[in-house]
Amino acid sequence: MTNNYSVTPPQQVVSEETANPTNENQPFEERLEHALSDDNMHHALERFAPSWLASRKDVFAIEEDDYGSDYSFAHMRSTLRQAKDYAIEHQPELIARFKAQAEAAGAIIYEARTAEDANRYIYELCQRKGIDLVVKSKTMVSEETELNYYLEARGIKAVETDLGEWVAQLAHERPSHMVMPIIHKTRQQVGEVLTESLGREISRENVAEQVAVIRVEHRKSFLNAGMGISGANALIAESGTVMMLTNEGNGRLVTSLPPVHVVMAGYDKLIGTFADAMTQLRLLARSATAQQITSYTTFITGPATPGKEMHIVLVDNGRSEMRADPHFKDALRCIRCAACANICPSYQQVGGHAFGYIYSGAIGLVVTPFHHGLEADAGPQSLCVSCNACETICPVEIPLPNLILDVRSRVVEAKGLPWLKKVIFGALARPRLFDLAVRLFSIAQLPVTRGSNYIRPRSFGILSRLPGVRPIAKLARWRSLPAFAIKPLRDRVKGQVSPASRATVGARFSSPVITVCYFAGCMIDRLFPEMGEAAIKVLQACGVQVTFPQKQNCCGLIALNSGDRADCVKMARQTITVLEQALEQSKADYIVGATTSCVVTLSQDYIRLFEDLQQQEWLQRARALAAKVMDFASFVDHVLLANGTKLPVRKSDGKAGDVIVTYHDSCQSINCLGLRSEARHIIQEALGLELREMPQSDVCCGFGGATSIEHGDVAERLMNNKLNNAGSTGATVLVADNPGCLMHLRGGVDASGRPMRVLHLAQLIAERLE
Amino acid sequence: MTLGHPTHGHDKSGPYFTHFQQRLSASGGESHQVASLEEAAAIVAAHPALNAAEIVVPPNFGQHSRWGAILPLLSNQGITIREAGSPASVADAPAGLSGAELAISETGSVLLAENTLEARVVSMLTLAHFVLVSEDRLVPMLDDAAAILQQLARAGSDQRHYMSFVTGPSRTADIERTLTIGVQGPKTLCVILVADEEEAKP
Repeated sequence: MTNNYSVTPPQQVVSEETANPTNENQPFEERLEHALSDDNMHHALERFAPSWLASRKDVFAIEEDDYGSDYSFAHMRSTLRQAKDYAIEHQPELIARFKAQAEAAGAIIYEARTAEDANRYIYELCQRKGIDLVVKSKTMVSEETELNYYLEARGIKAVETDLGEWVAQLAHERPSHMVMPIIHKTRQQVGEVLTESLGREISRENVAEQVAVIRVEHRKSFLNAGMGISGANALIAESGTVMMLTNEGNGRLVTSLPPVHVVMAGYDKLIGTFADAMTQLRLLARSATAQQITSYTTFITGPATPGKEMHIVLVDNGRSEMRADPHFKDALRCIRCAACANICPSYQQVGGHAFGYIYSGAIGLVVTPFHHGLEADAGPQSLCVSCNACETICPVEIPLPNLILDVRSRVVEAKGLPWLKKVIFGALARPRLFDLAVRLFSIAQLPVTRGSNYIRPRSFGILSRLPGVRPIAKLARWRSLPAFAIKPLRDRVKGQVSPASRATVGARFSSPVITVCYFAGCMIDRLFPEMGEAAIKVLQACGVQVTFPQKQNCCGLIALNSGDRADCVKMARQTITVLEQALEQSKADYIVGATTSCVVTLSQDYIRLFEDLQQQEWLQRARALAAKVMDFASFVDHVLLANGTKLPVRKSDGKAGDVIVTYHDSCQSINCLGLRSEARHIIQEALGLELREMPQSDVCCGFGGATSIEHGDVAERLMNNKLNNAGSTGATVLVADNPGCLMHLRGGVDASGRPMRVLHLAQLIAERLE
Repeated sequence: MTLGHPTHGHDKSGPYFTHFQQRLSASGGESHQVASLEEAAAIVAAHPALNAAEIVVPPNFGQHSRWGAILPLLSNQGITIREAGSPASVADAPAGLSGAELAISETGSVLLAENTLEARVVSMLTLAHFVLVSEDRLVPMLDDAAAILQQLARAGSDQRHYMSFVTGPSRTADIERTLTIGVQGPKTLCVILVADEEEAKP
């Protein structure tokens, strides 16, 4: 990924007053620290997320109820994705068509290769026409090119007329959200900004009064400006039409009143037809603000009135490179709804000034390297917890989580891995070395764990002053860390299961015998062998023959998540080879794992990895393996229960005193594997237990792989939200099916002393076996 | 409410207006279905926004073949008719009246497609905007509207350069997500669907 960002380096245009901690030119660490200390912001974002999500769901449901499944979110987003893919694929033809039509209608088209190029064109136009006042309606691409700075540095005043953008402009800040620019500000802060800027007292409490100010303040600008600058939500090729959505009505004034209208739009805004534009309309406002449609949707084809000029500046600024990239071209589908920001758990904690550069949210992490260089993304991308929620909600099906991991691996390629990760991943990729290291560590930890299952802050005692120990002790401050098991699962299962070659346990319940090859995953193997033992016990109790390949090792997910593709490839090849051999010897029907993260890696990540590397042989082997892989909950529900096998358990009689369960949907389980009903079915129907749903059961617990170590503050907040939600149900047991979450949550419960047990689904079942 | 699969025909009565009204109302706009221009004039005249007894209309609205006849009806009710001039002269006028090309049941939107600025500012700068639309121009779906937009945007002497779906009043929720009505555009939107002339006068 090269960067042709040739505009004046941002550092040079930052004036004293713009050098505040929300500005993207400030170091990432400062922005992050400021964001974490801004309680108003994360409270506002946390309040917003669930209410937006619920209204969004309703507004899509209304459309589907009225018009049937062709108008469901799933169907519409697939339609829009196809339309956008077509436009990306056929961009040269569509541009030619758009240009011909728009020019025939009287518009002037300028194609700008870089941000500087676009800014200069607009500045020179102002100069030629003697324009010194410009009104703008919201355009993200002008934020991308930093047009306002460019014009103001050359003596031209640019007034933002969207309310939120205007307040941000007055406060010398960037919008922190693509749709709601000042979601990070309270009404009191808005009142303060207005009062200070206008030099008269404006209410700190009355929003209606604050809104009324803008109508008065801007009327003069609208009537006197020589130029109006707008963005575009779509460029419709068949007619040369610019489509623009607004709510406030400022967009229609900006494009109508001044004698010159300039549209700034990226090439990604091209679509073929009005019919495509309607599909975009159906998705955009619903996704963005949960409105069925915005108040104003405007279609402009050439200058609207005689004597008026209309210029359309098409901005490339890195988009050609995106289009040339087989993966990143998907990001050109984006319609800038910001749903991926709204749903993002990390974004909710830190807001858009830290979670992104100029473009924020998941899509910001993906496009920033192309518009503003890889360095600009190095910090923000580290905040992604890989929960995959954004992909489920994107109205154009952009594979955001994978693209973020691609960015992460490019950052790692450019900057290298931190030394500790390098050591750990290097060791993980060498199974015998890793095994030895872990066994040594499990003994070395004894002075701290004192035989318990936890590494607790208080257990460090005087040791915590040692330089190498201090960071670990700090991590354990709010979440007890798990101790390494003295005896890993691979040792414990010896003699209990067949070593992948011979059948041992016969069929008691199901016929013919189902054989599974058990894949443990490092966490269960080394930290929580009791979870693996429980899973195996449950499977065996159901008559399933279980084999355990002793040569299994780390699947490589941890390296992949940290952007270390090289080590991940090593571990992927190892794992595929070991499991192929195990399947061959045991003739197992399935590979079952009780770690959904690893299951996703085995069944999805490997395929993408080898596709990328274009290693056909490994790709085929990965596909063949993926077809056999299944997670524990699915296996129990879809293979055992669905085929009439009864779990040999004491079914709860529903009397008081039995455990009350609340269930946490692990991100990989729900967002990648699509699991929702399986565990609930097992808990309620097969075990007969009471299940109390917690609010936001499907929101990330904050573990997020390495993110919880790198950004402990974010992880701690997300964990506390999760434990508070779980606690609010009055449940006595918190259950999940992914050991990463369980480690995080168990540690949090241990550190805080909450009265709740945290169990793997397999443990819950095993406890109740007859 | 189930409308079944969208058709491209025009169902003049029945579910489409009901749906239009529901959707527009959800976006904060009001709507009426009337049998004649007389009824339409009565609704406008009685509206609280007409307290000042003045209404701004696009230039030459009186000559409009479909809507021109409403002006004498309004005048008879004591309302002063003012033709729109410069944007400044229309800014914050208490009420404006214009005609729409289309109404869309799916979203509760009307399509405005005036080529002159003076006509357009009536819908942009007044405080309350009344929109007349023929009942036979009510279409079920955005897809139907797309076909019409395509025709209207086509190059030629009657190409429409500036068209807008308007769905409810001007709004913002930028400050603490508090919905506030009437930012730069009208605070009130009132759509009046008028029955076809032949049917109104059998």
